[in-house]
Amino acid sequence: MCVEGNREPELQVRFLTTLHVGNFVTKNYAPANSTLKGCNTMNRLQKLASVTALTLAATVTAALAQNSTPVQTGVFHGQVHSTSGRASIYEGADGKMILRLSNFKTSNGPDVHVLLIAAKDAQDNDNFLKNNVERVELGKLKGNEGDQNYDIPAGTNLAKYHTVAIYCERFNANFGTAPLEKF
Amino acid sequence: MDFMITFIRNHKALFALISLIVVAALWYLFRPEKLFINHRVNESAPFATTQTAQPIYTGRLSAKLHETSGRATVYRQSDGTLLLRLTDFHTSNGPDVHVVLATPQDPALQTTPGKALASIEVGALKGNEGDQDYKLPANADLARYGTLVIYCERFHAVFGTASLQPF
Repeated sequence: MCVEGNREPELQVRFLTTLHVGNFVTKNYAPANSTLKGCNTMNRLQKLASVTALTLAATVTAALAQNSTPVQTGVFHGQVHSTSGRASIYEGADGKMILRLSNFKTSNGPDVHVLLIAAKDAQDNDNFLKNNVERVELGKLKGNEGDQNYDIPAGTNLAKYHTVAIYCERFNANFGTAPLEKF
Repeated sequence: MDFMITFIRNHKALFALISLIVVAALWYLFRPEKLFINHRVNESAPFATTQTAQPIYTGRLSAKLHETSGRATVYRQSDGTLLLRLTDFHTSNGPDVHVVLATPQDPALQTTPGKALASIEVGALKGNEGDQDYKLPANADLARYGTLVIYCERFHAVFGTASLQPF
């Protein structure tokens, strides 16, 4: 039962969908419980506990195995503000999507943001405001160097917003662009 | 002109204040010091633990002599060994086809078929279609041998290549 307390809420939600895993596993553990003859309530409680614990353990393992691989990836280009590195989108078991920048480098600047844009690609210093480029804001750039993660708002249509842009909001200038493709 | 100078002299404090505000505003707008100051962050990969294999290189396969497509990804597994995985993979079937690693500058990549490739053997191609895994030799220097080649040993023919880029 203590396993349950340590897990994140999102994993507990998935408990119901994978109940069959737990049932299967409990069968193997039945002999251990049968030593508690005449103690039906205890027996049931123990059974429930082992089902819960094992199901959660199984779910966690399965979820992690799936998610170390991104669903989309792309490489940054940008000469004017020398931007390089990789952008990848990961999807969690609960459908939560995260953008990760790795081996990333861009020039430091004022009010720089990470965006998903509805365009195949973009030029250096492109002005998205003037060119009416549709965009989804992912947040302020955490650092101009290094590995970093950004939450993608739930319901974002990645078929439409399939390019990552590093964008200076103050001067409406595009620092770097990474068109994403299927991993 | 004289009037202006006298005016400024009489209101030194005011002008000092105004210029200070202007400089501060310009500094805030352009943040010129950021040109010289880097801010590095180092977050870990999402949804991953130390037990999961991490991708370290990836690249798209492109055709040379034969239609070849898909993705090649190198994973570092929890025990430190390297694994090559081909996904969405397709090439033409052929005799004695191998998966090998070569240096991007190898002339045999350009003048195919003909010259033998100076390569590191990964394994015989398991199938000409579909997802497949290969163990990479422990001594494979991927920084140098950064091109994955689908290679017909019999005719020294390069079917397709993928340039492996850091993940």
